[in-house]
Amino acid sequence: MDAALIAQLAWTGLASASFYCLSAVAFALVLKVNRVWNFAQAGVMVVAYYTLYLALRVAEMPLLPALATALAVTLAASWALERHAFHVLRRRRSNVLTYFIFTIMFAQCAIYLAELVFGTEPKTLAVEIVSPVSMVGPIAVSEWDVTAIVLTVALMVALHLFMERTQAGQSLVAVADNPELAEAYGIDTRRAYVIAMLLAGVLIVACMYLFGTKAALFPSTPLTQLIVFNVIATILAGLGNVFAAGAVAVILSIVQAFSILVIESKWQALLAYALIFVAILLFPRGVVLPRRVRLFRSPDAVAAPVVATPGKADT
Amino acid sequence: MSYVYTVAILTAINVILACGYNVILGYGGLVSVAHPVFFAIGGYGSAMLAMHAGVPVPLAIIAGTLISVLASMFVSVPALRVSGDYLVIATLGFQLGIVHIINSVEITGGANGLTHIPSLVEGAWRREGFLVLVVLIACVSVLAVHRLMHGPYGRAITAMRNDEEAFATLGRNPVRIKITIVAIGSGLAGLAGALYAHFYQYLTPEQFGIFASAALLTMVVVGGAATTWGPVVGAVLLTVLPEIVRFLDLPIAVLGPLQGVIFTALVIFFIFWRQQGLMGGRRAQGGLDAWTGRT
Repeated sequence: MDAALIAQLAWTGLASASFYCLSAVAFALVLKVNRVWNFAQAGVMVVAYYTLYLALRVAEMPLLPALATALAVTLAASWALERHAFHVLRRRRSNVLTYFIFTIMFAQCAIYLAELVFGTEPKTLAVEIVSPVSMVGPIAVSEWDVTAIVLTVALMVALHLFMERTQAGQSLVAVADNPELAEAYGIDTRRAYVIAMLLAGVLIVACMYLFGTKAALFPSTPLTQLIVFNVIATILAGLGNVFAAGAVAVILSIVQAFSILVIESKWQALLAYALIFVAILLFPRGVVLPRRVRLFRSPDAVAAPVVATPGKADT
Repeated sequence: MSYVYTVAILTAINVILACGYNVILGYGGLVSVAHPVFFAIGGYGSAMLAMHAGVPVPLAIIAGTLISVLASMFVSVPALRVSGDYLVIATLGFQLGIVHIINSVEITGGANGLTHIPSLVEGAWRREGFLVLVVLIACVSVLAVHRLMHGPYGRAITAMRNDEEAFATLGRNPVRIKITIVAIGSGLAGLAGALYAHFYQYLTPEQFGIFASAALLTMVVVGGAATTWGPVVGAVLLTVLPEIVRFLDLPIAVLGPLQGVIFTALVIFFIFWRQQGLMGGRRAQGGLDAWTGRT
């Protein structure tokens, strides 16, 4: 097989992995801290995307004010979701079914609203989505590729530093491990839940910006494509392993890029759906690597995976 | 008048579908979202048997129902090893996968759907005849589920739903009960799908995706999960209301999303302000908390 083709596919897969990685980390973070399979993330993605669309394409704002506007609106939506929905459900000790129905309905409501206001046609954030390309050896590297990789790496490093070095980040880890114990030590769990949602909101804005400058988005794309990908990455990474979910998303994106060599494009989505089913049945606690090669994992993550909501959810 | 008959037939089909889903979700406490897929399997199975194998339509409907039951076992035997969130996600993967297959293979008509499906009832009184039949089947389904769930087997299902570990320690096999529940619910979905296919004579894969799951959840949650009449009320409401919105004479591009916004908002309202649904009273059994044993 042509080495240049392999290198090009690997590079394209890596660059495209950026928005999958950001989205998967946001999803896994909320699952770890708030203990919710947050399908409502698709709704927040819709909010972020169409705010960016209004700012960039309709109001023709410069990039930075447009991003700031999208960030403000998305963070407000994330905050409202946590304080006015998840908090209420948590206080009521609602069951898995209630969380699932609410998150999926919130996502769908946002999708329908977007279809109502903006129509069902796909929309891009950039007038021209073809990015200038330079040749690096045999590989075509676009400006978008570089921006996407740099932005994703920067956000991952920032999140890692936040979780490791700040008191707020440490409180998230403590709440994720044991909310009752964290509360006993004086940590404000409600604040931790809000922070997790806000951090996810930041990642979502970046994810949507990268997506919309690379491809067109249908209102239903976040739910039917991105969230499905997030679920697979989160399960394979092992529940509670936030950065590992991002790493798995990158690997899956590269595998998907290579799969065009062996699988007809129309069957690629089926592969993803089959993977959800298989991953749940065979790897409900994630793919457990030998300790020496484990990346980004907390020591107790394998022994005690996060159960998403209180109640009867278990394997 | 034919419009009224068409809406009434769709309502009755949705009653059968919601009734089956209530068995799995409400009474069984199994959070599966793949129910529309069994509706699709029944519909496509029956239609293809009638179209390609020349099977008489009544036999094809029975066969479609049985295919749905078998398909449910194919998914429930492995998937019921897990529960809660994991079951939701496993069934979501199954649903998306099956819809993708239907969308991609030629024999099902691909994305264009299956057309010219033979009708169950022919002649001048086609609609009236079909309406009587489908209403009869809907009534029998509701009463059968009511009798099943209020008998000894139903009490065993409720016990399993409320405390699976305690149920198992009594020597009962929860997995067998779960497989039976899914088979019953999926069989009703398959029957509804087959009836739908042979009345509307048209099937398309987009009818059975995640949005169909949401509509079905809406019917059961708004009506009242784990109640006899809840899914009936939910199905009637959720079928008739969109038709009222249709009379607003809005453009088609606005109508669909507007209906979607109304229904999703309605479900969110019920989740926060009336969890027991329309038919689950404060003292009665039923509602979203039924399977935690709190109502």
